[in-house]
Amino acid sequence: MAVLAVIWLFPLLWALYNSFREYSYTQTNGYLSFGGWTLDNYTEAWNRGNFGLHLKNSLLITIPAVALTLFLSSLVAFVLARFSYRFNLTLLGVFLAANLLPPQALLIPVFRMFKEIPLPAFMSETGTMLNSFWALILVNTAFQLGFCTFVLSNYMKTLPHEIYESAELDGASVWRQYWQLTMPLVRPALAALATLQVTWIYNEFFWATVLISRGDKYPVTSALNNLRGQFFSDTNLVAAGSIIVALPVLVVFFALQKQFVSGLTLGSTKG
Amino acid sequence: MARPDPRESRFSSTLPASVNGFGRRSLLRGALGVGALGATGMLSACGDDSTSGSGSGASAKAGNVKFGINEAKGSGPANERLQAMADAYAKKAGVTVSVNAVDHNTFQESITTYLQGSPDDVFTWFAGYRMAQFAEGGQIADISDVWPLDGIGDAFKKASTAADGKQYFVPVSYYPWAVFHRKSVFEKNGWTQPKTMDDLTALMKEMQGKKMTPFAFAAKDAWAPMGTFDILNMRLNGYDFHMALTKGEKAWDSPEVKNVFATWKTLLPYHQENSLGRTWQEAATSMAKGDCGMYLLGTFVVDGVPKEAQEDLDFFTFPELDASIGSDALDAPIDGFCVASGAQDEEAGKAYIKWLASAEAADAANNAASAPFIAANTAASTAKYGELQKKSVEVVQNAKSIAQFLDRDTNADLANTVITASLQDFIKKPDDIDGITASIQQQAKSILG
Repeated sequence: MAVLAVIWLFPLLWALYNSFREYSYTQTNGYLSFGGWTLDNYTEAWNRGNFGLHLKNSLLITIPAVALTLFLSSLVAFVLARFSYRFNLTLLGVFLAANLLPPQALLIPVFRMFKEIPLPAFMSETGTMLNSFWALILVNTAFQLGFCTFVLSNYMKTLPHEIYESAELDGASVWRQYWQLTMPLVRPALAALATLQVTWIYNEFFWATVLISRGDKYPVTSALNNLRGQFFSDTNLVAAGSIIVALPVLVVFFALQKQFVSGLTLGSTKG
Repeated sequence: MARPDPRESRFSSTLPASVNGFGRRSLLRGALGVGALGATGMLSACGDDSTSGSGSGASAKAGNVKFGINEAKGSGPANERLQAMADAYAKKAGVTVSVNAVDHNTFQESITTYLQGSPDDVFTWFAGYRMAQFAEGGQIADISDVWPLDGIGDAFKKASTAADGKQYFVPVSYYPWAVFHRKSVFEKNGWTQPKTMDDLTALMKEMQGKKMTPFAFAAKDAWAPMGTFDILNMRLNGYDFHMALTKGEKAWDSPEVKNVFATWKTLLPYHQENSLGRTWQEAATSMAKGDCGMYLLGTFVVDGVPKEAQEDLDFFTFPELDASIGSDALDAPIDGFCVASGAQDEEAGKAYIKWLASAEAADAANNAASAPFIAANTAASTAKYGELQKKSVEVVQNAKSIAQFLDRDTNADLANTVITASLQDFIKKPDDIDGITASIQQQAKSILG
């Protein structure tokens, strides 16, 4: 275990180590050397990468996308778990199948579709879905729905049936059963999913590069490229930038860690 | 990264205009444009337009433009120069130039989706095949009516012309490839720049005698070894052969190409070993440190060496290998601008692009930035140039033919997937020339058709 952990952490720590060193020092002495300490890489990465703006972009994409994904998938999951009708399995199958499709395969259809969907000027500068955050929010939501639906519906199936029977006896409507009964009970699962979704959507790189072509609209992951030049790239600076970009995910992870772990195990022990 | 095939992009022209033109926004912009037209049209009528007085492109009137540039904000002098040009034009013509800055690599990698999606009116691009490919596909606009341009020579015009004989590009700057070395190292050992291949061979042997590797060499950046291939090809077979080969008119398994690889093989022992694991920056560092004597690279090599070595650099062009071919061709990739076909205001784009090629634009860029580029316009001021740049101008002006570099002169798919891998194979196994050339030719045939 310890050996594996070291192997796993080594590249990360190596990047962290070199992000505190000057390029000119490592250039002359090699990366195995010791010295040339500086904090400049961080301030320069922040300024040159324009991370303030791009972190805000990432935030504007990630938060609505995660909220929307969780809301929609919990709705579907609720129906799938609580009501049995003929197409239950088919529906779940469709959602899962969509999850298995590689996004690259859908690149061209999605791109063309978005190009032809008009948006009013206050929503998108270009007048189409392209180059707007709406496009990224929708695409990310669509691609994450399958997985969330699957996890949530399985989780909801483990809730004791009796609760719903008594709720129904008390006259709770379907909406009330969903919103006031199920949602509080699946909170651990929602928190676990939220953690995962924030990480995934925040780290998403592919769609952002394809659907956005305005430099000032890129999320922070794509903005990391700003630190590379046409020919020359200062690897220490890129290391510093990567660590800045990775920090928010770590914060979210540690903040929600407790929920995350309990969410995972709760799902597994209830049979 | 998965990208749509460039050929796919032809569909974009079949889209109904209503799709592109939808929205009140564009209507509004149109109205604004008309307003601006009135104002600037009067200005130029007052004889303000002295730099473009040659009369051509008179139809192009200044207006608000959207300008896509391939250097991210704050990424250094390259961005400063482009921004300065945009600002200078906005001030001069009294229009708004809205700059969309994307970093170099992302811009280049997503160019097809950019052009099909919502391109800016004018954008930065490269001369040669990379431009011609989009001209053929109809994504960039014919701008032959802004040519001829004052101060832009014939070699540049040739590089701005697509297969249909029309111009789709205006050049702004270039950077030559040559053999770089440290002046102090040469002085200390009493070496001089070799004029002939015999001189070079003698020099390489002497360097080896001093436990110095003659040529620094890196192939981890897959494009880097193309420089060596290009120069050997142009010295052995000439510029015309290079162009015919990259267009698919000559075969990659021809005796000429095999000869290039055979010559390269004899030179490989003079190059740094294990080059496949080395980036050009590391190779440049080993030349700066004096472990290696020389390095064949573009002038951007200065970015890869420490400050004190930058002042100490000098270069020479690769010597003649065949007297009947001479040594008057070299790689000097040209950067410049195109007008997108989907431009919202093509006329304004043309007016802007014509100005961008002027000496005034080049001077505005070089005066504002911390490091100058080498202007394509011969009338541009050279006051800001460093020694290397002054010498570059001289070398390029003396060159009879200018190639754009292998990956800019040929199909991007062929260059980036086939040739890069094959050159790395060759460096690994220099004995298998027949196998490597046959494999390139086979794939070139299927890609170029």
